[in-house]
Amino acid sequence: MKRFFGILLVVLLTVGQLTGCGPTEAVNEKDPSAQTDALTSIYNGELERNVTLRILENDTAIEQGYFKQLIDAFNEKYKDYGIVAVDANMDQRSNLADDGPYGYGPDVLYQANDSIMKYVEGKHIYPIPAESLEHYSQIPEHAWDAYKSEVDGKAYYMGVPVNVQTSMLFYRKDMLPKDWETNWDKNKNKVPDMVENWNDLYKYSKSIVESGTGKYGYMRSLYDVYFSSGFLFSYGGYIFGNQNTNPEEVGLSAGNAEVGANVLLQLASVMNEESIDDSITVNGYSKIADGTYFAMMTTPDVYSLFIKELTLEYEKKGMGTESAKALAEENLVVTGLPLLPASGDLTEENPELIPLKAMGGINGYAISAYTKAPNASLAFVEFATSYEMIMKRQELLGSIPAHSDAAKATGGVSEIVFNNLSEGNIVVMPSITEMVQVWSPAETFFTDLAKDAFRTSDKKYTSLEELKNGLKVVDQQIYDAIHTLSN
Amino acid sequence: MNMFTRKIGKNVIASICLMGLGQLMYGQIGKGLLYLAILACGVLYAALRGFSDLAGFFTLGTKEKDAWFGIEGDNSVVMLLMGILFIAAIMLFISLYLSNIRDAYETQILVEKGGKPRTFLEDVKKLLDEKFYKTALFLPVIGVSIFSILPIVFMIAVAFTNYGGNIVPPKLVDWVGFKNFIQIATLSKFAPTFGKILNWNLLWAVSSTFLNYFAGLGLALLLNKKCVRGTIIWRAFPILAYAIPGFITLLGFRFMFSYGGPINQIIMDMGYRAIGFLDIDAKWMARLIGLLVNAWITVPSIMLLATGILTNVDVDQLEAAKIDGAKRWKQFTKIVFPFVLFSTTPVIIGQFIGNFNNFGIFFFLRGGLYMDGYFLASDTDLLINWLYNLSINNNYYNIGAAISLVIFLITSMISLLVYVKSPSYKEEDIYR
Repeated sequence: MKRFFGILLVVLLTVGQLTGCGPTEAVNEKDPSAQTDALTSIYNGELERNVTLRILENDTAIEQGYFKQLIDAFNEKYKDYGIVAVDANMDQRSNLADDGPYGYGPDVLYQANDSIMKYVEGKHIYPIPAESLEHYSQIPEHAWDAYKSEVDGKAYYMGVPVNVQTSMLFYRKDMLPKDWETNWDKNKNKVPDMVENWNDLYKYSKSIVESGTGKYGYMRSLYDVYFSSGFLFSYGGYIFGNQNTNPEEVGLSAGNAEVGANVLLQLASVMNEESIDDSITVNGYSKIADGTYFAMMTTPDVYSLFIKELTLEYEKKGMGTESAKALAEENLVVTGLPLLPASGDLTEENPELIPLKAMGGINGYAISAYTKAPNASLAFVEFATSYEMIMKRQELLGSIPAHSDAAKATGGVSEIVFNNLSEGNIVVMPSITEMVQVWSPAETFFTDLAKDAFRTSDKKYTSLEELKNGLKVVDQQIYDAIHTLSN
Repeated sequence: MNMFTRKIGKNVIASICLMGLGQLMYGQIGKGLLYLAILACGVLYAALRGFSDLAGFFTLGTKEKDAWFGIEGDNSVVMLLMGILFIAAIMLFISLYLSNIRDAYETQILVEKGGKPRTFLEDVKKLLDEKFYKTALFLPVIGVSIFSILPIVFMIAVAFTNYGGNIVPPKLVDWVGFKNFIQIATLSKFAPTFGKILNWNLLWAVSSTFLNYFAGLGLALLLNKKCVRGTIIWRAFPILAYAIPGFITLLGFRFMFSYGGPINQIIMDMGYRAIGFLDIDAKWMARLIGLLVNAWITVPSIMLLATGILTNVDVDQLEAAKIDGAKRWKQFTKIVFPFVLFSTTPVIIGQFIGNFNNFGIFFFLRGGLYMDGYFLASDTDLLINWLYNLSINNNYYNIGAAISLVIFLITSMISLLVYVKSPSYKEEDIYR
């Protein structure tokens, strides 16, 4: 009996597996030439009636009450059609490709561009008739490009940009030298030089470290690719070829990227060993608050964490909550990133300055291909990305709009970031799935680079050539990770 | 009993031709109808979807879904799963068919001996009495088949497909034979890294198993001493370490050994430079820390196990050895240790396999690094971590399944070898 079952199992499995049977080429019933445009196939312009739209929103938007205001306003506008938008009640990072085919996914989702665009390959999201949207022209081309993809030989926009996420410089105004207006403001523009360019920030950091008080100037965990890669981009490096769409070409070592790596190496020399691992990422908020660090680079969404820590610090010194918070808000300044020296030499006096191209992301709305109501979903996306809702989102969440009218109306940091985006100084994170293979090789390089600043006799990176070779190894690792096992 | 040595009666032949017919001819209406119902269900399942599931198992789909143009297509992964289910159902059906023939034959023998065919009620009573093991094991066997065997068979099948990377549903998956294994074996970049990682993996598995086992046993022996006071409290401390989820402990240790962690803060306060316990240059230091942290997590369970086993050590034998002049070390090596080793060999093998495949320890302590001289791995990565970097990180389920099979072969061979050579296998009757 056992032998019989054994033979039966072996026969059934081996027939299929060992011969590799089955069609080598799937019969594809689609004939692209006979297809109509996908947009006309999906959207007929008639709103579906009496439908419920499940919306996947960002957790902060739900917690801060923005999402409720959004769906209430939408539901009021479309009540005559019986369209009701509700919270999809799912994890904000849930994977549509896993849930959608089985009917569990949302109808509309709000995620970062790299998350949304990974759904394009399997057509898990619908393209969007972007050019027919009222606010199309308010969104810069760089933002739209993050959602552009070619499918079946045609270019489509797969989402609508809402916010920009990128790095900013956070610093303590009260830790500026008392004489900054006379000695640290060469161009007399009432902005301290050390937050305007990296050479002065380096010089100021060095002076703080050399004072022997145990304090530091600029601090950042350098392993973090999101914040460190911008230094490579600024001197000609890039992630993938053809504007981050071609994984056949990896270019972190391209141009003079090694000069950017050398800038990081110089910055590490005015930090301590905590720049090697994630220590500064973890304790940066409290160290800025207690005055150990003068400045660090991070994303604007953590502003409230800095304020919370600084308020607590002031409260410890005997201040009341309100006055402590007010003082914290006054002393913590968020500004654009300092300019880099074109030469890459942070010790150069009066250098020619170039902008730092920081890595960023564009969050936006997309429509699931598993929705039963594509027209109503499109109406929701159009409503949620209208000027009024973008302004409300900015007001409640402090997010930076990717729409020119809203950014201009908001002013301040929003306008700075938006201008950086328009001018191409924000390198939007690649929207192709191969991006997942970039992190570990690049993280290893930046960790090694930071470590090198603290090695004594066995330094690895003593010349620009060695830095270039190090970056070439990273490029090769990324290429291998992507292509070695690809089918 | 061999059914071919006797003459087969017409009722048995009837059961061979039609499931349950023989039973009906013996007047066993309930059982006959039950068998007929099983046959009807089987035929219905096969006709309605079984055969198409089987065809789908071989083709893995022929039409690709396109949501944009409303084209419904095949889901290769579901087809693979349903195909495996149908094959399992066929096997179940065949075994039921054979049981039907055997039952008819047993009834024939009973009748030939002058007995009467059992009624349905008598059969049920038998299942609750002398054949109770069948009743008791029925649900667990079904559970093990669905939750344990089916996923393994699915994983084995995936190793022979191109499922992964860019080929995930709605794209159609195909069978590729041994291509994945050939790819792993022939990639020139793989071999040096595989060798290095395998060597470290074996060293890690042996040393961590050895350390955990003897530290646990040592702790149990220590707390078993009558002179130790407050043993309950002392035993509770390691259990607390054991009770905290492993990954929380690992993240805690990662922080403790980081540059900004408390250990480096103490070192710096003493006027020394911070030490990179787990950083990019800390190959052996990180390996040692991994070994100790793993011991911190695992030793309590071994201690508890050894404490239980030590209560069964023959005290008279120890007393006799003492009278004969055996020193404590001799008593331990000749009486206590062989007894504990005999009882715990399967546990040691389990520990060895668990340590060999210990994914979390270096993933949480020192993940995210690719070292020079390694292909997409670091010098502390174990095979399971490398497998993650190569496959899961990249969604190459097929390669992941193929490497899993290779790891399975390695660990099963080592485990089998150790078990066969162990006293637990060789001297099974000694302690009975």
